Amino acid sequence: MTGAEAGGRAVARRGLRISLTALVALAGVYILVLGYTPVEAKQGLAQKIFYLHVPAAWCALLAFSLVGVASLLYLWLHDARLDRFAAASAEVGVAFAAVMLTTGPIWAKPIWGTWWTWDARLTLTLFLFFLFIGYLALRAAVHDPGERARFSAVVGILGMLLVPFIHLSVYLFRTLHPQPIVLKPSAPSLPPEMLRTLLISFVVFTTLYVGLVSLRYGLSLVQEAAEEARDGG
Amino acid sequence: MAAELPQNGGYLIAAYIVTPVILVGYLVSLWRRVKRAGH
Repeated sequence: MTGAEAGGRAVARRGLRISLTALVALAGVYILVLGYTPVEAKQGLAQKIFYLHVPAAWCALLAFSLVGVASLLYLWLHDARLDRFAAASAEVGVAFAAVMLTTGPIWAKPIWGTWWTWDARLTLTLFLFFLFIGYLALRAAVHDPGERARFSAVVGILGMLLVPFIHLSVYLFRTLHPQPIVLKPSAPSLPPEMLRTLLISFVVFTTLYVGLVSLRYGLSLVQEAAEEARDGG
Repeated sequence: MAAELPQNGGYLIAAYIVTPVILVGYLVSLWRRVKRAGH
């Protein structure tokens, strides 16, 4: 095993440790949500889905925004670490988007009476999900590292441009989706017990994002080191 | 008289199962890819 490969495995192991810690903390969030956080009077127990859906949406949009930032910086600086980070953040973002796009309809069915509606927020989010699936497919299809980084950086920047539209879509369009309750100009509109649980869930999900990105980044380092060793030998 | 709570706990259970299935499944697949890489 080369030094670079060992380094990559160490980064991956650190990512695994952070991720496992976050998953244990997620079990704590479950206990908090089910045992201590009050039940909302109109929506009943289904409202508690929001303690997973909203942090998952936050992580997905954070991940895709950081793909765009890293991609912009890559086109400027041509640093392979930025491309590696963008690839890791995109893949992890797709996982969080999958959580967002499954828990959302599970909440919508009892509250709206339908699993899905083609309103602006939902449609744009689904489009963003498909765009980043395309981003990952593009990376898998192009074998030259320089070309792969440049082409995918352009797609990553275009994906990032969708994020503010998704956040503001509830103001710009007539939509069924609830308006922001935390990330908005005025103070959060939630009872303190609910807000506390939501903020803890935000911290846990963000920690899981950091862990998964570290693990995915370490995987890239190991794969690159193995390829270099094969080409050299 | 207080209004009756909607009976929709099944949806809560479904969401609370789906979330770790996706996230733990992804974590396991990533770690298996790390283990396989370079061999």
